[in-house]
Amino acid sequence: MLTRMTVRDFRCLASVEVEPHPRLTFVVGRNAQGKTSLLEAVCVLMRLQSPRTSTRSDWLRFGAESCLIEGVWEQHLLRHAQTKSSRRLAVNGAVCSRAAEYLSASALVVWLDHADMNLARGGAEHRRRHLDFTAAQLFPEYLTALRQYDRALRARNFLLKRDINISWRQVDAHGVIMDKNSAIIVRCRRELVRRIQPWIADAQLKLSGAAEAASAVYAPGFEGDSLLAALENMRDAESRTRQTAVGTHRDDLLLSVGGRDAGAFASEGQQRTLCLALKLAQARVLEEEKGVAPLLLLDDVFGELDPERRQALLDYLPRGSQKIVTTTALHWMTDESSDASILRVEDGNVRSVD
Amino acid sequence: MNANYPAPIQRLILLLKSLPGLGPRSAERLMLWLMGRGHTRIPELAEALVHLRNHVTECPACGFFIERGAACLFCQSDKRNQKLLCVVESAADVLRLERSGAFSGIYHVLGGKLSPLDNVTPSDLRIESLARRVHELQSEEVIIALGSDVEGESTAHYLADLLRPLGVRITRLAQGMPAGGGLEQVDELTLHQAMSGRRLLES
Repeated sequence: MLTRMTVRDFRCLASVEVEPHPRLTFVVGRNAQGKTSLLEAVCVLMRLQSPRTSTRSDWLRFGAESCLIEGVWEQHLLRHAQTKSSRRLAVNGAVCSRAAEYLSASALVVWLDHADMNLARGGAEHRRRHLDFTAAQLFPEYLTALRQYDRALRARNFLLKRDINISWRQVDAHGVIMDKNSAIIVRCRRELVRRIQPWIADAQLKLSGAAEAASAVYAPGFEGDSLLAALENMRDAESRTRQTAVGTHRDDLLLSVGGRDAGAFASEGQQRTLCLALKLAQARVLEEEKGVAPLLLLDDVFGELDPERRQALLDYLPRGSQKIVTTTALHWMTDESSDASILRVEDGNVRSVD
Repeated sequence: MNANYPAPIQRLILLLKSLPGLGPRSAERLMLWLMGRGHTRIPELAEALVHLRNHVTECPACGFFIERGAACLFCQSDKRNQKLLCVVESAADVLRLERSGAFSGIYHVLGGKLSPLDNVTPSDLRIESLARRVHELQSEEVIIALGSDVEGESTAHYLADLLRPLGVRITRLAQGMPAGGGLEQVDELTLHQAMSGRRLLES
């Protein structure tokens, strides 16, 4: 649980001190006041990265030399200071030279925002990235396999393009590595989808008021058990197109609502619910694995939902986990959901409302 | 006018900078040392460089360094098992394996690893001569001792594929636990490999 957080010179926040509610905190304010920045600060404090940017110097408030985020998570005092070029991490006052050391003391985070719509509507790469993110935290061998696969794939594609007469011996040498690593990747992804599947169905059902059945099915990017054999069958196609034709880099997660393909046939609201369901399933699976509920950060996802779904979402959010939610207005909130604290953000200042 | 060092010094810095592992700052520091306290060492250094060029060469067979006209420590020694060939990436790896004392065969230095993305192709490495040697020496076993990164692995597979028709036994180094260490010093990936490569404890 995040009990206290101090933010200095982060984005538009000059100096902010907040004490989030143990369960549910609403961050309320008009547009461009700093709501998302506050949420982002929580994410950076916990995971050292942000879904909004990959350039760390973006975090510094205009004109500031450094920014500081400090927070207390499960009795650990976490401290993250960032200058234009370097950062300094500390847990309980002791400097951490390795990020992994710091990350093991901080919370897992699940971030939900508008960009999640890409999971239903966007290309397969969005769904693969979603799977990768979770799998990397569940299976220690996953990330290495993924990196090695990727490197071998790039080399293989380059070899296919480079020579007029393709030197298949070199190409195949890389195929072997892809095969070896894809075995690990496929096994992990299959297992992950098996674990999230019931949660997705459950979430969609609850969020839609028991009206919709959703499913997610893992679709491997090659047929059969052996990628090497599958590649062997694609010789002709590969010498024509000059790129690797099959492989786990073409995996997909097939999403459907009510038995029909979600990307093509589901409505806007259904898609939105499905994406939320996917993210919440991720949170559940991480919780099952690690025994600690991840911190849920919801950036303005309530605005687009009808009042029933909004309430359903509020009710469905895992009870055990701490949630921080940004929204522009709270008029739709009923009394039952009022066991929460409200932070009002205005022009980079935060005050708590009773 | 832009002030700068005299031309010979600029040339020296440029040369030093082109050496691997030396940046502009290190190059400048070396130059300052050579101009100052190291001044007396210049003839010695220059002589060593010339000597290197005139008297040291690669063994045409295995690729390890030899003095010109001298016999190769490995290829021309009757103490080494000429039927056992170990493929390594660089000459430094030869000495590493030698220090371990675990190997009594002969070596073949590739001079790098296949890396299409860095434009290293089979023709840049001593691969053709490897195939020829395996054939001529009637090798019984080729041990591939390359790194376990993607480039090392793909080179290993490439070589295995190339040498298989010659009917030679092809092996590679095992991966796993470091000697004399506890589990706490081993990273997860290595442990993973050590676990999958475990062996029966023989009594």
